[in-house]
Amino acid sequence: MKKIISMILVGGKGTRLGDMTKYKAKPAISFGGKYRLIDFTLSNLSHSNIDVCGIVTQYEPMELMNYIGNGASWDLDYTDGGIQFLTPYLKKEDIEWQKGTGHAVKQFFDFIENYQSDYVLILPGDHIYKMNYNAMIKAMEEEDSDITIATTRVEQDDVSRFGVVEINKDHYITKFLEKPSHPLTDLVSMGIYIFKKDVLKELLFSDTELLDFGSDIIPEAIRQNKKILSYEFEGYWRDVGTIESLYEAHMDMLNDSRFLGLNSSKNLPIFSRSLNLLPHIVLYSGLVQDSIVADGCRINGHVEHSSVAYKVEISEKAHIKACVVFSNVKIGEYAYVEKAIINEGVEIPKNYYSKNEKCILITKDNLYEVGEIRE
Amino acid sequence: MKWVRSVNNLFVVVDAINQGSFSHLTRHRVPGAMPFAAKYRLIDFTLSNCKNSKVYNVAIFPYGNYRSLSDQIGSGSRWDLNRRRDGIFLLPPKVVGNTIDHEISFQRMYEHLEYFKRSVQEYALITPANIIINIDYNDLLEKYLKADVDLATFTADDYRRLKIYIIKKDLLLDYVSKYDQIQFRNLTDVFDFSSSIKKTSIRLNNPSFLIESSKDLFHANMQLLIQDIRDDIFNLDRPIYSKETMSAPTRYGKDAIVKNSIIASGAVIEGEVVNSIIGRKAHVKKNAKVYHSILMNHSLIEEDALVEYSLLDKETKVVRGAKVHGTIDQLFVSEKKQIVTSEKSLTILQVSAEVEPFVKTGGLADVVGANAEAYSKLGKKSLVIMPLYPKIAEKYQLMLKHEADQTITFGKEDYKASLYSLTNHNTVYYFVETYQFFERDKIYGHKDDDDRFGFFSLAVIAFLKNLEVYPNIIHIHDWHSALIPMLLKERNIDIKTLLTIHNIEYQGKFTRCVLDKLEIKTDYNFIRPSSLNFLEAGIHLADKISTVSETYKDELAYEYYSRNLVEAINRRARDFYGILNGVSDHVGPKNNLEIAQKYDLINVFQAKRINKLDLQKRLGLTENEDAFVIGMVTRIVEQKGFDIIIPALKEALNNERIQFVILGTGDEVYLNELRTLEKNFPNQVSANLFYDATNPDYIYAGADLFLMPSRVEPCGLGQMIALKYGTIPLVRQTGGLNDTINHYDLSGKRGNGFKFYNFDSRDLIFQLNYAYSIFNERKEDWNQIIINAMNSRFTIKDSANKYIELYEMMV
Repeated sequence: MKKIISMILVGGKGTRLGDMTKYKAKPAISFGGKYRLIDFTLSNLSHSNIDVCGIVTQYEPMELMNYIGNGASWDLDYTDGGIQFLTPYLKKEDIEWQKGTGHAVKQFFDFIENYQSDYVLILPGDHIYKMNYNAMIKAMEEEDSDITIATTRVEQDDVSRFGVVEINKDHYITKFLEKPSHPLTDLVSMGIYIFKKDVLKELLFSDTELLDFGSDIIPEAIRQNKKILSYEFEGYWRDVGTIESLYEAHMDMLNDSRFLGLNSSKNLPIFSRSLNLLPHIVLYSGLVQDSIVADGCRINGHVEHSSVAYKVEISEKAHIKACVVFSNVKIGEYAYVEKAIINEGVEIPKNYYSKNEKCILITKDNLYEVGEIRE
Repeated sequence: MKWVRSVNNLFVVVDAINQGSFSHLTRHRVPGAMPFAAKYRLIDFTLSNCKNSKVYNVAIFPYGNYRSLSDQIGSGSRWDLNRRRDGIFLLPPKVVGNTIDHEISFQRMYEHLEYFKRSVQEYALITPANIIINIDYNDLLEKYLKADVDLATFTADDYRRLKIYIIKKDLLLDYVSKYDQIQFRNLTDVFDFSSSIKKTSIRLNNPSFLIESSKDLFHANMQLLIQDIRDDIFNLDRPIYSKETMSAPTRYGKDAIVKNSIIASGAVIEGEVVNSIIGRKAHVKKNAKVYHSILMNHSLIEEDALVEYSLLDKETKVVRGAKVHGTIDQLFVSEKKQIVTSEKSLTILQVSAEVEPFVKTGGLADVVGANAEAYSKLGKKSLVIMPLYPKIAEKYQLMLKHEADQTITFGKEDYKASLYSLTNHNTVYYFVETYQFFERDKIYGHKDDDDRFGFFSLAVIAFLKNLEVYPNIIHIHDWHSALIPMLLKERNIDIKTLLTIHNIEYQGKFTRCVLDKLEIKTDYNFIRPSSLNFLEAGIHLADKISTVSETYKDELAYEYYSRNLVEAINRRARDFYGILNGVSDHVGPKNNLEIAQKYDLINVFQAKRINKLDLQKRLGLTENEDAFVIGMVTRIVEQKGFDIIIPALKEALNNERIQFVILGTGDEVYLNELRTLEKNFPNQVSANLFYDATNPDYIYAGADLFLMPSRVEPCGLGQMIALKYGTIPLVRQTGGLNDTINHYDLSGKRGNGFKFYNFDSRDLIFQLNYAYSIFNERKEDWNQIIINAMNSRFTIKDSANKYIELYEMMV
């Protein structure tokens, strides 16, 4: 018997992130030098003492499974529960591919039943934020709502990327519109839901097949007059579904020295799987300013306003500015790169030049489309 | 012999007993748990070597405070040592004996005999926990098997001994189970002295660092900035694993400048860092500068501060604008959580009953006088205060300046006290004159010593405002002024106090009367409430306590050494320090006209012969430059080891080429024994049993061996003087003798003397014979020891610097 169990949905392909998600699920994408997107959700679970977590995957799960392992790095390796990967399997001679987020949860409803929990927490695996889920559960218990949705206010321009909610004065959701072209409020769903288990079961196993939480299940619940509480979250939150938003989130981190309290020991840490790397070294010709650098790097060039992930080598006279450099990248001598995300393992040749107005992604394949060799 | 490469046929015993001499750094952890290379601990290297060598049976023998070590190791899963079979075993001491071992003993292994019996592997590798090396243990085993020996030891490429041994398990088990029947305490003893087994020393080419002092730790860290060494120590094929910890990537500020430095994750760098190693979550703020330094985890360097040549322990905070200047020879070493402010203007008032050159009965006066002068030379304000004895008044009458008079109430009476001063080379000496208490010839040993020194302490406090500069440190020596911390507390005067214990035998035990006279109101929690022990009161209430060597400090944790005060001492263990005395630069053979031939390293071998012949001639011994002359200059009392010296000499002198010279006086029992010895060996023994006003230098210069097998020796001066004369000390491993003398080792050619442990004449004879055999048969080695001895360095300046470091930590 558990009070609450959680399920992280990592099924989506994340096509808008281009080659970054060629071989891995979106939550396995690197963030802020040493993290992966999934670290934020797993750390939140860990700090909220939620000890059962089903991870629902289907697209390129290997790297993510490998990374998470038994969950020990997040202190989620419990004997009765802990982390469990829920991958598609053969059912009556058909592999049931997931047709939507709701459909994915429905497939593994046995997993939920197994724990006989009162509540089910549904989480996306690719958002950047720090949140105590217990506060949300407490609010839900106090109000005795059927469903609680975490919501937050976003900039007017961004609103139509999300599911927009309207609430009454008691913070109950009266209307839910997935990605509307003319949104009426700036309050959006963070894709974090807590359901009473029985309510979830009733919705998932009704006669009409409801495939997706945002487009189908929540609108249906409103129609059925379920009590749906909006739990408004006020901290930093980003859904990094695109190259631009991933880049912007990195710039947020660089510009705010107190970003999510990462460098302060007074705050709860964001856990991540440590790779047993050497501390990084800055050599005589190195200059690193206004940047973050992960372990295992060897820096002999100039790093300016950039995020550098682990095991990156930056040669003498190279200069990177306002970049996000993923792991295992090598930057050759005299190279200059400005405003780009440099994908994992890319080797930037000597004298390479790429200066961009708008952030771009540099990969092995487009190296010479977005830059050139300048002698 | 055919040898087979046998993977997994090794088990590893990690010796985490060696405490090294780290001053403050190991106060909260054993050396194996010491941070290294920004994110590692020393033990990570040994455990990673185990993992990379596929050794899965590892036993760690910790000493003392091993909590930090067990924190670091956990279940051992980081090194794949959480096995169902074998795995990692942390084997703590079962008996807390009074041994100050520097190496794992067979006795210690015997406590866990079962472990050795149960291990199925054929060979044991014993390694210290405080070693940095990246090596495949199977290669070592291969070398051992190839050499076809019973016991192999390994040295660095500069022949420094690494204290790594490989031995067959059965042979080791044999030593361990018979530990109380054999003369060897540990594998080093076996290697150095056993003649019945085959042994060899194997030199390794890998970079390796045995970390036994803060200097070693600093040096090894700095070597990592050299790429070849870094690449070897952090060989990617054999990665070093450490406990997983969570910290964010390093964050660099807009004006950060970092050159040639290793930076761990979680650090925040906003200032300048050059040639340094920065630990996890350290923070260097804007405009702060860190040069040639090691910052351990969570250190904080505030704005505009400067840190150079420093080793900052965890959570050290260097406050805004502070300047910390170490040098390559004299590193600044902080203590965990220390708050370092700028080089403070220190005004040190030393309080002592005797001070050289004014009055002296023992070593205490020398130390106080020498330090007072050294502080002035090092730019600190140095003050000294002592009673004005008639002899001083007579001799210095014309130079004494009258400073102030006060009427001081003590008990029911009022006393008139006067303060005089004398300034010499910037040091100000103050003298307290009170007719009723100090106008006597003998300085101690009066019935009313409690009143005399109780009153003196009161007068010191009364005169504080009359001193040239108001002090911020009062350094009290021995029991005489040990009531000062109590008086300061009673009067709410906030001056930090350091009490130095020169010899715990002198405690000042009296009745409680003096407390009433001093109007002490508070009821302090003393061990024997019915009486008053001056020294105990000082230990209880001084801000910090020190004694005159690291080893003596450790020894005082045991009742055998500290007797009635063991509890008082142990209560203050965290504030207790060991600082070795120094010897004056003027001492030595270099410009000495009192000896037949003055000398230094250049002509030492020739000059020692001349001085030896001169000594033999002066004292009427057989003149023979090949004779082995054993010298002693000492008080002749039990503490100095005469109970084992006399039987040992009786045996050794049967060899006609051994001669013995002693100068000193003391207990009649031993004097008679020495006289008998002289009678029985007239051509070999010269016993000069009187107080000799002439210089004993000719003995230091002419003898080959300087004997000092004391039972107890807080610091010892004779052995340090002997080193300067290239006269090789043979000492017992106790107190300051242990801290100054390193046993000479034939394979590494290191060490400046001979050392034995058990207070037993058999062990002394064994060492005497060993020393003689080297003198007689291995001239090159003997000369090497002389060179090592004369290169040893125990200066007053080093000692004074250590005290200053401690003072700075206090204010």
